[in-house]
Amino acid sequence: MFDRNGGEMPSDDLTTLARADAARLKLLAEEILPRLRDMEVLKSGTGLVMLPMRDTVQGVEFHLGEVLVAEAHVRLPSGTEGYGMVTGRDIERAMAMALLDAALSDGIAADRIRAFIEAETQAQQAEDIATLRRIEATRVDMETF
Amino acid sequence: MAYVATRGGERAIEQSERLYRAQMGRINVARVAEIEAALPALVDRVMGEASLYAPDLAALALAQSGGDLYEALLLLRAWRTTQPRLQIAEVVAPDAGFTHRRISAAFKDIPGGQILGPTLDYAHRLLATEVLEDQPYQPAEVEPSAKPAPATHPSLAEWQRAQGLVTAPEAAPVPRDEIPDLTREPLLFPAKRAHTLQSLARADTGGTLALGYSAMRGYGNSHPTVNELRLSEVEVMVAHPDGRRFSAGRVKTSQAEVVTTKGKGELRLGFTATLGWNEVKCISAATLDLNAPGAEKNSPVEEEFFLYHTEPVESSGFCIHFKLPHYVTFQSSLDNLRAAKSAKAEQAQPTDKEEETA
Repeated sequence: MFDRNGGEMPSDDLTTLARADAARLKLLAEEILPRLRDMEVLKSGTGLVMLPMRDTVQGVEFHLGEVLVAEAHVRLPSGTEGYGMVTGRDIERAMAMALLDAALSDGIAADRIRAFIEAETQAQQAEDIATLRRIEATRVDMETF
Repeated sequence: MAYVATRGGERAIEQSERLYRAQMGRINVARVAEIEAALPALVDRVMGEASLYAPDLAALALAQSGGDLYEALLLLRAWRTTQPRLQIAEVVAPDAGFTHRRISAAFKDIPGGQILGPTLDYAHRLLATEVLEDQPYQPAEVEPSAKPAPATHPSLAEWQRAQGLVTAPEAAPVPRDEIPDLTREPLLFPAKRAHTLQSLARADTGGTLALGYSAMRGYGNSHPTVNELRLSEVEVMVAHPDGRRFSAGRVKTSQAEVVTTKGKGELRLGFTATLGWNEVKCISAATLDLNAPGAEKNSPVEEEFFLYHTEPVESSGFCIHFKLPHYVTFQSSLDNLRAAKSAKAEQAQPTDKEEETA
C-alpha cells in the first residue's frame, strides 16, 4: 500500500481486507464461517459515505460527493464484533470482511487469516508498483527539450 | 379561465416510452459491464455530475437512458436518495492521492516533475475507420519504466507558498459533520466557499465549459493558466465501530488549480475538484472560481450566475419542462395578445366625429 509508512492508515489489516480480491475473500470467509456459530448480524446493506476534500486555495473543507459502499457489522457470541465496509454494492464482500475481522479479533483461524492478509498485501503492493511503473513511463524529461 | 381536464394521453404516453426504449433493446449485465469498461470517461463524467461514486450504477444509468446524460443523472440522483448516509469519510488532502497524472502549464520544473499519465492530449485525432471494416483496433502496450513513479506528489500551491508567491490558506479545519452540505441545506448567496466548491464538483461539464470559456475569451477579469492538474485515486478513510481507521477502497478524483498573475503582488488561484477523471470540467470550473471575486452582477463569472446555471438536474429539468403541456397558460397569453390587438385596432378606427371632420 502506497503510504502506509506515513502513519496515514493505522489499520493495514482492515484496509487490506477491504481491497482484497473479492472472490478469494469470500472463499476464505465461507471456509471459516462454520466456526462462527450463532453469530448475530447487526448491519448488512448498502449506503453512502460522504467524501470531503480540502481546497488548495483557502484550505476550506468541502464535500466532493458521496461514495456507494456496502457495509456489514456482526457480533460473535463472545461479544467480539466484526465490521466490513467496501466501496461498491457487494454486500457479501462486506460481510466476508466483517466475518474475517471478527474471527481475527477472537483468535479464530487467526494464522489462516494472517496468512491471507499477508498474501493480499503483497498482491496489492505488486499491483500498485506495476501501475506506478506504467505511470513513470509518462514522466516528461524536461532536460531533453 | 379554468384548468381543462383532458383524457386520451395515457396510451400515447406508454407507447412513446416503449418506442424510446425499443431503440436500446434488452439491457443485461453484460451490456452494463461493457459500458463501464469501454467508456470510463463518460462513466466518470456522469458520476461527478451525479455526485455519486458508483461506476456500475453509472453505467447502468447510461444503458437505461440510452446515453441521455441528463436522464442518467436524474436516475442516479434519485437512486441516491434511497440510500442512508453511513459515515462521513476523513477529509482528503489535495496531495494525498495515488497520483496517475500531474502536470503544470505554469511552471516547467515542479517538485515531483511533470507526469503526463493517461491522456489523449498529444494524440493524433484520427478516426479508426478500419474497425468498421472488421479490423479491431488494438492500442500499443505501455512500456513500463524500471522504477515506479512516486505514489504521491507534493502540492504545487504549497511549494509556491513556501516561496511567498501565494497567500497561505486562512481556513481552519472544522468537524466533519459541520462541513456545509448542499444536499441538506439550500445554496444561499453570497455562497459559503464549501458550498461553491461542492456545487462545482457536481456541476454540469458542458455548463462549466460554456461559462468558463466565456471567461477565457475575455468576458471575465482573469485569464487562467493551469497551475496544477491532477488525476488521482484517493482512499475513502472510514471508521470501524471500535475506532480503528481504514480505507474502504479508492475512488478516482480530479482536481485543477488555475493561476493568474493579476493579484496584489502575488499569484491568485482558482480551484475545483470532482469525483471521477474530468479535466475539462475542473479547468473550466476553476476558471470560474478564479474569476468570481469582484465579478459584476449578472456576468457569467459571477458566483450566483454560474452556480445556478450549471446545476445539471435543475437546468435540464427546467429546459425539458417546456415540452410539457402549457395549453392553459399559453392560451391565456394568446387571449391577452388578441385582446391587445383588438384594442389597438379599435383605437385605430376613426370615430364618427373624426369622420365628419374629415
